[in-house]
Amino acid sequence: MKGKLEISERQKLIEEGKNLKEGLATLEEDLVKLTDELQLEAQCIPNMTHPNVPIGGEDSSTVRKMAGTPRDFGFPVKDHLQLGKELDLFDFDAAAEVSGSKFYYLKNEAVLLEMALVNWTLSEVMKKGFTPLTTPELVRSSVVEKCGFQPRGDNTQVYSIEGSDQCLIGTAEIPVGGIHMDAILAETQLPLKYVAFSHCFRTEAGAAGAATRGLYRVHQFSKVEMFVLCRPEESESYHEELIKIEEDLFSALGLHYKTFDMASGDLGAPAYRKFDVEAWMPGLGRYGEISSASNCLDYQSRRLGIRYRPSEPTPAPLKKGKGSVAPTKFVHTLNATACAVPRMIVCLLENYQQEDGSVIIPGPLRAFMGGLELITPKST
Amino acid sequence: MGLQCYFGGTTIQTLKLAAIPASSRFILNPIPKTLVLNSFSRHNYVYCPLRNPFKLLLRALSATAVQTAPATESLDNKVVKPQWKAAIDFKWIRDNKDAVALNIKNRNSNANLELVLELYEKMLAVQKEVERLRGERNAVANKMKGKLEISERQKLIEEGKNLKEGLATLEEDLVKLTDELQLEAQCIPNMTHPNVPIGGEDSSTVRKMAGTPRDFGFPVKDHLQLGKELDLFDFDAAAEVSGSKFYYLKNEAVLLEMALVNWTLSEVMKKGFTPLTTPELVRSSVVEKCGFQPRGDNTQVYSIEGSDQCLIGTAEIPVGGIHMDAILAETQLPLKYVAFSHCFRTEAGAAGAATRGLYRVHQFSKVEMFVLCRPEESESYHEELIKIEEDLFSALGLHYKTFDMASGDLGAPAYRKFDVEAWMPGLGRYGEISSASNCLDYQSRRLGIRYRPSEPTPAPLKKGKGSVAPTKFVHTLNATACAVPRMIVCLLENYQQEDGSVIIPGPLRAFMGGLELITPKST
Repeated sequence: MKGKLEISERQKLIEEGKNLKEGLATLEEDLVKLTDELQLEAQCIPNMTHPNVPIGGEDSSTVRKMAGTPRDFGFPVKDHLQLGKELDLFDFDAAAEVSGSKFYYLKNEAVLLEMALVNWTLSEVMKKGFTPLTTPELVRSSVVEKCGFQPRGDNTQVYSIEGSDQCLIGTAEIPVGGIHMDAILAETQLPLKYVAFSHCFRTEAGAAGAATRGLYRVHQFSKVEMFVLCRPEESESYHEELIKIEEDLFSALGLHYKTFDMASGDLGAPAYRKFDVEAWMPGLGRYGEISSASNCLDYQSRRLGIRYRPSEPTPAPLKKGKGSVAPTKFVHTLNATACAVPRMIVCLLENYQQEDGSVIIPGPLRAFMGGLELITPKST
Repeated sequence: MGLQCYFGGTTIQTLKLAAIPASSRFILNPIPKTLVLNSFSRHNYVYCPLRNPFKLLLRALSATAVQTAPATESLDNKVVKPQWKAAIDFKWIRDNKDAVALNIKNRNSNANLELVLELYEKMLAVQKEVERLRGERNAVANKMKGKLEISERQKLIEEGKNLKEGLATLEEDLVKLTDELQLEAQCIPNMTHPNVPIGGEDSSTVRKMAGTPRDFGFPVKDHLQLGKELDLFDFDAAAEVSGSKFYYLKNEAVLLEMALVNWTLSEVMKKGFTPLTTPELVRSSVVEKCGFQPRGDNTQVYSIEGSDQCLIGTAEIPVGGIHMDAILAETQLPLKYVAFSHCFRTEAGAAGAATRGLYRVHQFSKVEMFVLCRPEESESYHEELIKIEEDLFSALGLHYKTFDMASGDLGAPAYRKFDVEAWMPGLGRYGEISSASNCLDYQSRRLGIRYRPSEPTPAPLKKGKGSVAPTKFVHTLNATACAVPRMIVCLLENYQQEDGSVIIPGPLRAFMGGLELITPKST
């Protein structure tokens, strides 16, 4: 229509243009709707799975490693609740009145134990080159979703704040994952290795039964979490590094545990491969999960928008033009529990109890407890 | 008259705790002729945060507040029932009404004492009437047990029925009166210590000053700049992930937070305080019983969706709740707790320059001291608590002033409050780092915390039912041992060096693996 035209020809073109415009508007609307629906459906597709992961339900998970042996007590073993009562270490009853079930106060040496576990864990993991962090515990719900959790689903684990789009975090993985949201990192920045201390909040909706007594399943707890962002070719080796760090921590505390390679039916949607550590809890009479280490490949980074730009591969090119900057790639992310405090407290109390009702404090923690070696019953 | 007038005829969905005065109900009810009611027509529109539907509605409309008004219920003709009752001593209020009125004025409180006294008198009158009618009903019931003629029995049955109906109505009114009295009386602030200066915040007096502002000799940076250069915090990423006034601590700042908490807990434990960690989600009723308003205007409190739970703004709340509805033995007192928790505050309504960086944030770590004691000891524990705080701050080398807060600046629960403000050279002024309040029995009357005094004299010969001492309310006190972000501001700004590094105060070094200095990282 920019050229010189006869009036009738112009008229025809105007007509054609209008039809095209309307048709286009409708189609563009359809495209948006299709894109949105595609996005919603595709987001449900879980991550791919590592070829070595056993196929099946939780009974198919295999043991990668076992360390230590169950202690032979020689006297009747108490569970952590009874020990806690006798040693005046927790109060669940007052917490039930003030807050509801599955809440608790820690008291006396249990407070020192929590602080010691956190301080020691942070210190050990920092030695491995991880940057320590504390994080917000209120985050926008979109960030929760981008990490692969469902804040508003049925039986959601997530507490939401009234009148706000904010939620309480269930793990520091979420706010740490969010740090580099929508960023393009330089390859030289990778890997980024964080160790984060936070409180975690979980509704535990849908979790019922015997495995919920005492500190085993609670709504609020302290946790030290490791989080790694790295180049894709390195994520498998960082997965191995993370599980090794965990195992070294648990061995240093003298725990008897098994590391599982979790079966395909038991991975969360974000995880390509997941190693869970279960420690022997003599009071419970079984193994209980104390940590989980996942390699999420680019599942989270595609949602969080975390990319990196590879460095130039060869010596400085002679011509540096527009097209010679390497295209960005998605980082891989991994997360691993360094210390979930209540479960560790269960392990330590139950495993280190003495016949006289006292509890030995493992060597590495004593310096962080002012040298305390033993938790003894109080004279009432 | 009645509800329509009160709300200007508009249909407003009420917010849960908006109390509709019983006054209108009374006027609509048939009034037993023996009872004389004063006119309720002049209902005072009391601005008590629990009952201010207009303001709550306005806040719901403004988008700025993080937390909007709670789920609505339709307006109906009833007084909102308080979820819990404070054991308020109405008789004492009546007998000391001049002192109470003066106190309300000095504190700029909007409690309506006149209404409280009115309601109390009415409640007493209705109660008396109820008892009288009950007496008559019992008399009738007794008469019916004997042998009677049919017509006499018929008359008595009739009388009994009338009494029963009249009684039912009166008992209903009594409940409503009691509820409204409760709601109004809960607004009355605590009494005030005679030495507290009267006036607004400018009237607060300095009790103590320690140290002097450091003479730097080079341009002083604020904590934000120091934090940036030393890679200690990230506010920008937190703004994306969570919103403004959130932050990540990084590197040595994490060690500093852990050191401050560990050292503080350790020092306060040496003074005989029992260490605690607490739930950070609590039922909203517990928040109210401690004297806070979870659902008021500009509430500081985050609420959880679909639940009656809130996030705590201070460990004072869950610790106060530990002994709720309990009767302690006198020998258990004093109970001295030092609690570590994270705290969450909406900071709604706090704007301006004093909100930069770590100074005002939505989430922070705090170590809080809480004491329950016998009434005669609370003043001395108040002195003990402020001394502990001052010793902590002096040990860290801070320059600070301790204020005796003026009457207009006390929270409703506090009989007396000491605030410590430390010198923050980067801010260029003093900033509050702690607060120590003596709440007398204000909180314990709401939380229901009593104690039974021990027998005063050698074992009495006859121990009968009546010889157990009646219970009394404990006194409660709370005091900040360490509010981590404010302390970090102080330490960074006061201990900065010209080369941009920051010295770590002596007492904290052992808790930081011996670290003595925070140095700029090579980037």
